[in-house]
Amino acid sequence: MLTAIAAHFVLAAFLPLIARRWGRAAFVVGALAPAATLVFALSRASGALAERHPVETFAWAPNIGLEFTTRFDELALLMIVLVSGIGALVLCYYACYAKPGDRAVSRDSSLLVLFAGSMLGLVLADDVISLYIFWELTTVCSFLLVGGEGLTRKLRKSATQALLVTSLGGLAMLLGLLLLATAAGTTRISEIIANPPGGGVVTAAVLLILLGAFTKSAQVPFHPWLPGAMVAPTPVSAYLHAAAMVKAGVYLVARFAPGFSDLPAWWLPIVVLGLWTMVLGGFRALRQHDLKTLLAYGTISQLGFLMVLVGAGTWIAALADVTLVLAHGLFKSALFLTVGIIDKRTGTRDIRELSGLGARWPALTVFATLAVLSMAGFPPLLGFVGKEAAIEGLLHGEPKDLLLLAGVVLGSVFTVAYSLRFLVGAFGARPTVAPTEAPPSGTVMTTIVGIPAVAGLVLAFVPGLVEPLLAGYADAYSANPPDYHLGLWHGFKLPLLLSIAIIIAGYLLHRTALAPRLAGWVPGPLHAQRGYQASVDGLVALAQSVTGRLQAGSLPIYLGVILVTMVAVPGAGLLSGIETPVDLRAWDSLLQVPLAALVLVAAGTVVLARRRLTAVLLTGVVGYGIGALFIVDGGADLALAQFLVESLTLVVFVFVIRRFPPRFVDGRPYFPRARWVKAGLAAVAGTFVAVLAVLFSGSRQGMPEASRFYAENAESATGATNVVNAIIVDFRAFDTIGEIAVLAIAATGAASLILARARQRPSGGYVPEDAGSERTEVKQ
Amino acid sequence: MSTEPDRELERVPWAEWDRPRDRWLMAEHNCNTWPRSLLLEVCARIVFPTVLMVSVYLLFAGHHDAGGGFSGGLVAGLAFVLRYVAGGSAELAATVRIRPPVVIGSGLSIAVLTALVPALVGQPVLSSAIWKLSLPVLGELKFTTNLFLDIGVYLLIVGVVIDLLRTVGAGTELGGPGLDDETLEREEVERT
Amino acid sequence: MTVNITMAVVLAGLYTVGFYLLMQRSLMRVILGIVILGHGANLFLQVAGGPPGEPVFAGSALIEAMVDPLPQALALTAIVITFALTTFLLALAYRSWALLGHDEVQDDVEDRRIREAERRREGMDESDEPDTEPAEAVAGFEAPEASEEVPR
Repeated sequence: MLTAIAAHFVLAAFLPLIARRWGRAAFVVGALAPAATLVFALSRASGALAERHPVETFAWAPNIGLEFTTRFDELALLMIVLVSGIGALVLCYYACYAKPGDRAVSRDSSLLVLFAGSMLGLVLADDVISLYIFWELTTVCSFLLVGGEGLTRKLRKSATQALLVTSLGGLAMLLGLLLLATAAGTTRISEIIANPPGGGVVTAAVLLILLGAFTKSAQVPFHPWLPGAMVAPTPVSAYLHAAAMVKAGVYLVARFAPGFSDLPAWWLPIVVLGLWTMVLGGFRALRQHDLKTLLAYGTISQLGFLMVLVGAGTWIAALADVTLVLAHGLFKSALFLTVGIIDKRTGTRDIRELSGLGARWPALTVFATLAVLSMAGFPPLLGFVGKEAAIEGLLHGEPKDLLLLAGVVLGSVFTVAYSLRFLVGAFGARPTVAPTEAPPSGTVMTTIVGIPAVAGLVLAFVPGLVEPLLAGYADAYSANPPDYHLGLWHGFKLPLLLSIAIIIAGYLLHRTALAPRLAGWVPGPLHAQRGYQASVDGLVALAQSVTGRLQAGSLPIYLGVILVTMVAVPGAGLLSGIETPVDLRAWDSLLQVPLAALVLVAAGTVVLARRRLTAVLLTGVVGYGIGALFIVDGGADLALAQFLVESLTLVVFVFVIRRFPPRFVDGRPYFPRARWVKAGLAAVAGTFVAVLAVLFSGSRQGMPEASRFYAENAESATGATNVVNAIIVDFRAFDTIGEIAVLAIAATGAASLILARARQRPSGGYVPEDAGSERTEVKQ
Repeated sequence: MSTEPDRELERVPWAEWDRPRDRWLMAEHNCNTWPRSLLLEVCARIVFPTVLMVSVYLLFAGHHDAGGGFSGGLVAGLAFVLRYVAGGSAELAATVRIRPPVVIGSGLSIAVLTALVPALVGQPVLSSAIWKLSLPVLGELKFTTNLFLDIGVYLLIVGVVIDLLRTVGAGTELGGPGLDDETLEREEVERT
Repeated sequence: MTVNITMAVVLAGLYTVGFYLLMQRSLMRVILGIVILGHGANLFLQVAGGPPGEPVFAGSALIEAMVDPLPQALALTAIVITFALTTFLLALAYRSWALLGHDEVQDDVEDRRIREAERRREGMDESDEPDTEPAEAVAGFEAPEASEEVPR
């Protein structure tokens, strides 16, 4: 399985090259990776269904205990069927959908395969770190695929929204996963679920993880990014925003649900937001004219439904959930691909402009009808099988489940209504509109649409084909599962009656067209898109005000802020931590006193000096004074180097300042009293450093071990009796090599700075008062 | 070109072959932008070899006494500074024929190679070996491989200082604010 | 074992002068400030190594009487690095002077623009608060994007 994931990434790296040579065929080549993965996974299906699931581990940072672990179980296999199966189909479809010679081919094919690999990693990952990494990889792929080349503002906006919302959730999820892993003491998801930890931290962790799942699966109030992402090419939408990526949230919840389904902090947000999302999505879908946006809202609604079922936490509900995950992946990808054909052949997706396509493209119409009916829960299709199971599961649960059932029934009525709206809108004849002129729908593309659509029909008749897989996941919820099997016919019981009622109500809703009139009405404060916009605007405004206040653009102010921070933060810590009495002496050697006076007087005069040369010479005096202090301290080498360097520094200074005006140019001060503020600040910071020196050296007890080692072993180990030299050329020679490298770089840098010739300046060296205009001049 | 001195040697009478042909001090037209001081120039020329010797002494003495590659290199660098201050860039050019970055590079290479050689014989990088020789007259002679590191440091520092003289020193004699290339070239033409 | 008062005062004085010069507008003063700070730091390293003692030559004195050699080695490295840094800064100052004709540290133009945009925004918010569209509030943010859309 690790190989399969790696193969995706490697292939994705080569696809741009293939696309450059063979154009659209790159998609077909790209489809090989998911197709091979699918075949491989199915051939190993017995392993996934077995008692002990195959585990593979790759330790990529063993020193800090980071490893990538895959665990191939029932849920993973189900998701692989969707991710790799639909992925291969979509890639083949895209090969026909893309225009020949389109520049997007190399980019999109590579990204789609990369996405397929990331998704594969996501569903297989058994440790929280790799789960998060693949999670964010899918987010980034989605951003790049939605944004395309970012040529229009709408593309950029939609892509940014998708990225911001999902990565916000991703970061929250990371925090939650880490908290959970810390509480459980392991990063393995399977172990966390087997022995779920408890306590307040876990509650917080669970809520954070749910935030990640909700944003990814477009649950209220994070849903607006999904309709926005419909600006992506239709195959991308079919794959990412119907079959695979948006399922990641549902997958995450389904993955953790067996361990936490009893925790109110877990199921309560899931069912409340899930129901809200299901109803709202269906409601909004009823008003859409764009087929793709209609499907997007339908997806939101269905994702809400899936969330509710996981949140219910019973065996049958879980079975229904995974059945519907499979069914939804099949019918929704078929429908998106249908929309893709319509869009490509007719040039529009607006149901007000389409008419009579049903008669023109019978095959596609049949396939699309199968998919739509599966979505609406008509028998004999997989969607119906799943919905039957869902109603059954909610019917016999706790009292709260009956409440859920009511909501699910309402949402399903909307689902039926918008399904009919889609079917009639896309393929129905419209008396007021002339029949749409369109070329044939294309055999290959129609066939690709047909595969998932027909799969939904076949699986409904032989649910036994997938039931072991689905029931295998549901077994995690209950030790002794009830005797329920997926099937089309369970007898004349309440679920069937409810299904019939839902269909009739949905049909009536569609006929009366009542909902479209109501569906646009959402109270302002509840408008999620407005909320997103307001928070982004608020963030930008906050950033601007913070930057505007802190980044004043003046170097002295920055330095002042740094100094104040330096004094305030470590200073506060120091004051609170002083314990040891400090043993203070006036001086250690009387020679220090006159030297100190000399250094201080020279340093003080530097500040007052008006001529550059004076200031430089006084700095030299300071340096020589320090050298003398080194001698007093017993640092012979140090003093020698200090004297020599000081002389050289003086020479270099003089070389440079001979070209400068002899006096400092004191421009008008920005603030009249700035000088005193600066002086005060500098004095406080300087005193702070001195206090620091006293306190730090106060904790010193004799010669440290390292120094003692150097002093004792210098002669035997390096042959040098001068210990300082031994340290420089031997014990710490690596430092020395680094240091001389710095010297070489500084000399080279100085050479290129000085030898570069001055470019011609329009103002002949005059300093413009307004630096802003000067900048634009340079640019032009 | 390389054979030219030999031919010259052949033509020169045997008794005059070592007669100085160059002027010891620079000719007038080569002089720098600041006033010349004969005393300074002569002193610099006389002191120069001595200072270089001192620097080499410091380099080798570093093992047992104050000194080392840094100090030695700085002292040697100061010798070149003296020559430049006395005679300007032309004097410096007369002193140093090799390009300063080459000196820097060779110093750095020697230091890095010294660090890497122990790895070839299976020792950790930067480890050093000591050899002791007992010579009849000179007494005991001790030689350690980390001396090469010091030599590398010495060369690099000398190179850096000469390079600074070339750039910060000679390079800033020309140019100024707002001068474009043409002005600079004109300035240069006028000088020569 | 601690630094004596004389040394502490020297450190305070050097750092004060260094910080003060660092906050000046003249690039040359800033460089002098860095040089003086470097002196201060070297002295700090040295005096933090304990009170004066015998020079560290193996065998010449008891180890207990010697000064700590490690801070000396570090300070020696620091001295040379400070020199390298100083020359580079001087070259920068020279370049700045050659290009601009002065060696004054100017305010950052970009930062100043942000600050002014922020001031304008605040003023606008106070004057006509209710009508401000969110998109206008971030005019500075949106403007470059809008100009990007000019057909190429």
